[in-house]
Amino acid sequence: MTAARLRAALGRPALGACCRILIGGIFLYTAGPKLLRPDEFARLVYGYRIIHPDLVNLAGITLPWIELVAGVFLVIGIIPRSSALVLAGLLGLFIVAGFLALVRGLDISCGCFFPFMGDHKLDWDLLVRDAILIFFALQVVVWPSGFVPNRSRSEGKGVSSG
Amino acid sequence: MIVGALALVIGSAAIGIVVNQVSPRGIPLFSTTAAADSPPAPALPKGMRGVDLPEARSSFDEHAALFLDARSPEDYAEGHVPGALSLPAYEFDGRFPGIADRVEEAQSIIVYCDGVECSDSIHVAERLVEYGFPDVSVFESGWRAWAESGAPVSEGAEP
Repeated sequence: MTAARLRAALGRPALGACCRILIGGIFLYTAGPKLLRPDEFARLVYGYRIIHPDLVNLAGITLPWIELVAGVFLVIGIIPRSSALVLAGLLGLFIVAGFLALVRGLDISCGCFFPFMGDHKLDWDLLVRDAILIFFALQVVVWPSGFVPNRSRSEGKGVSSG
Repeated sequence: MIVGALALVIGSAAIGIVVNQVSPRGIPLFSTTAAADSPPAPALPKGMRGVDLPEARSSFDEHAALFLDARSPEDYAEGHVPGALSLPAYEFDGRFPGIADRVEEAQSIIVYCDGVECSDSIHVAERLVEYGFPDVSVFESGWRAWAESGAPVSEGAEP
């Protein structure tokens, strides 16, 4: 009974809409500066030491655009489940990369909010934050929200329109 | 849903690559190795010159350049290139007037921060170029490579 209530609460359309706007908005906010300075973002990616140095530029060029497009799609309700899945995947990637950097003792900027907005050092709190954000993203994946255009129905799962 | 996610990733990445090719702030798709003994590093902004460790050491030994340390004052106090002036990227406007005379006297300026992954040296170098200094370079491998190479270091808040 409790589990059913929990599922019902998590599946509320209003909660889904909040999750969509929150996750999409955060990625929109953070993608902008990265788009303006791909060279700087590539340096931050380089600092994690998990991508071959030859490929850090490519990551610095493409990752912000993936964040931007998925963020926009999520906020305005275009393929919201796919967009949320992509952003959940990125958050998972950030957690793995951050974990590997921290256990190796790297003292680096996280790159998450970029230096233009303050120099955020990578720490365990940021991994916890990303883990919480994954929950919000997965809420959209599992319980596609109402308050989105009907086109979201085409993503393969019934949608409760709110 | 998974197909949509894959399409989104591929499509967004393609847009990013195309925009990068036409953008004035675009960077090479793949990193290039500046020196045979150093790993590939992310590209510097267009028009900005980088110096590697041997060149930085040579400039230091010959007193051919003024070194500027773009790290925090605390990091500077823990260790810096002897003679380098502290000019933290985030305190540029507050600190530059105090050292402007010495910077203007320099024939050549080399800016550094922690290492390849940091951008503070680039921020400072860009500001100096905006101010009209003609010979500004970024020592990309930075303080870490300098200290690990066994080059001379100084400690404390003074150069």
